[in-house]
Amino acid sequence: MRRLGLRARLVVAFVLVTVLGAAAAAWSSAGSASAALVTATQARLCESIAGQVGAVAPQLTYPPDQEALDRLRAAVGPDTLVTYRGLRSGTDNGLATGALRAAVRNGDRLVTQRVTAGDRPWLLVGTPVMITAPDGTRTASGIEVYAVRDLTAVEAQIDDLTRSAATTAALALPLALLLALLAAGSVLRPVRTLRDTARRLAAGDLDARSPPRGADELAELTATVNEMAESVQASMAAMRRMQADARRFAADVSHELRTPLSTLTAVVEVLAATTDGMAPDARESAQLAITETHRLVRLVEDLMEVSRFDAGTAHLRVEEVDVAGAVRDCLRARGWLDRVELVAADGVESRVVLRADRRRLDVMVANLVGNALRHGAPPVRVHVRADPAWVWLEVTDGGPGLPEHVLPHVFDRFYKADAARTRTPGSGLGLAIALENARLHGGDVTAGNTGAGGGARFVLRLPREGV
Amino acid sequence: MRRIWLVATVLLLAGCGVEPSGVTDGGDAPTGVAPGVTLYFVDGQGVLTPQPRGSDHLGTITEAVSLLLTGPGTSGLHTEIAPTDMTRVVVTTTPDLIQLVVPLTVRDVTPLGIDQLVCTALGVHVQSGGSRRMVVRVRFTLATPESDRLRTCPLISPGR
Repeated sequence: MRRLGLRARLVVAFVLVTVLGAAAAAWSSAGSASAALVTATQARLCESIAGQVGAVAPQLTYPPDQEALDRLRAAVGPDTLVTYRGLRSGTDNGLATGALRAAVRNGDRLVTQRVTAGDRPWLLVGTPVMITAPDGTRTASGIEVYAVRDLTAVEAQIDDLTRSAATTAALALPLALLLALLAAGSVLRPVRTLRDTARRLAAGDLDARSPPRGADELAELTATVNEMAESVQASMAAMRRMQADARRFAADVSHELRTPLSTLTAVVEVLAATTDGMAPDARESAQLAITETHRLVRLVEDLMEVSRFDAGTAHLRVEEVDVAGAVRDCLRARGWLDRVELVAADGVESRVVLRADRRRLDVMVANLVGNALRHGAPPVRVHVRADPAWVWLEVTDGGPGLPEHVLPHVFDRFYKADAARTRTPGSGLGLAIALENARLHGGDVTAGNTGAGGGARFVLRLPREGV
Repeated sequence: MRRIWLVATVLLLAGCGVEPSGVTDGGDAPTGVAPGVTLYFVDGQGVLTPQPRGSDHLGTITEAVSLLLTGPGTSGLHTEIAPTDMTRVVVTTTPDLIQLVVPLTVRDVTPLGIDQLVCTALGVHVQSGGSRRMVVRVRFTLATPESDRLRTCPLISPGR
């Protein structure tokens, strides 16, 4: 039962109840009709036997002789046994039970008993014949009459009744099935609507609603689901607004900082040109100011870049790029050529050409390699691999690798793997920017470890044909 | 589920066939045998007296009344019905009335003689299983109001 669907269970239960009800009603009426039939038949047989005995009794000699008993037996009909003390007329067919004989012998009433013999129902009738005095007192005469009557005809009638009851119950079946299907449909339709709505909600369509109909439990459930969708939609909207606010704030701040920063940069450059003539401790302070100013400039630039990605205003300027050359240029521009090893995998054509934004490719490589140099340990290697569809740039280092708990967060903005080391030369946005750039190209960046005891491995994957 | 099938099976079995039963009562036993008939005569004190006749069987009302008309014989009792050669009596029994058509005029019988007729007829009726509340009408050959009276026997109380 539990394995069936809701509809099947509803239908089965409904049909079962209806058919059982119809069967019970039909059977009980058939039962009482048969009981009445049996009672009436029995009463008729008893009356007729008593009447037959009573009709012939006044003409019988008493005490009776064999001839009188024979006359009495003939009057009652076939299958009759008449006894008087030692005398008997008729054949004892053995059907009369001991209980019946005792009741006849010791009583003054006509008695009956139903028995089954040879697969047929019989009615046994036994009666004493009484002597009535003129004043009405009755005494037993000693004459006993036993008769057997066949009840097969009654049983056939009862069987007919039973059959018609069964037919009635069976006729209720198709009707019950039809009603059950209709009822199940009307119950399940709202359930199905609700399920569809829930599915659409789960798929992200927060506008999905189902109109509640009626005032039953299903309507309540529908209303509740609608309310739930409403509140989810509201909180989603609030969250989006807050996110948008936060991004706009970051964008505004970085934009506002740019002007004063460019002034500051100019001043710092002037300061840098004059450090030679300073006292050593003053020069150290000036140098620190210069470094931090450059870091600040880089941070603001990164922030603006991220803001552009968030605002969807980042554009690709796609051109043909030689990957190995671009990587080498990138490393050379940052003075990393002696610290990073550029490897081309076996079987790769010497010149891997890619359709990409040269500036953004440079940023990606610089951020990945810079991250490896800052947080990993030598040797830092860049592998280039390619197949007809994709290009892979794999940046590995010889450091301890990324801990398990860090892996899911390495691309988060301002995520610090080591909470104690809060101050690092990077902006904390480098990997996030690399990932956004890769996505902009239709590729991605994955983080992992090189395997047993190896360092971290970042794999940048880009489509060769661009987007 | 199992319970539902159980109920269904019980219902199915309950409706089927003629069930055997124990010994049950089927009404009053028939009656009517008797060693003889009882006739009613009058004794020396003028009292109605039953006289059993050993006739081996009870017989009918007609036979009993005819026998009554033949007289008491030698028994010390006498009859108050005038002797007649004609003993043919017609008896009609309906559910609440026994009608005797006797070959006598009302002058042939005394009131006690009418009681003899009524009691003899009613006695046979009771002995053959009839009700004691039965009433008797005696019709005489000549028209008389006595022919329309409904009578009962003073010796057979209506009882139950």
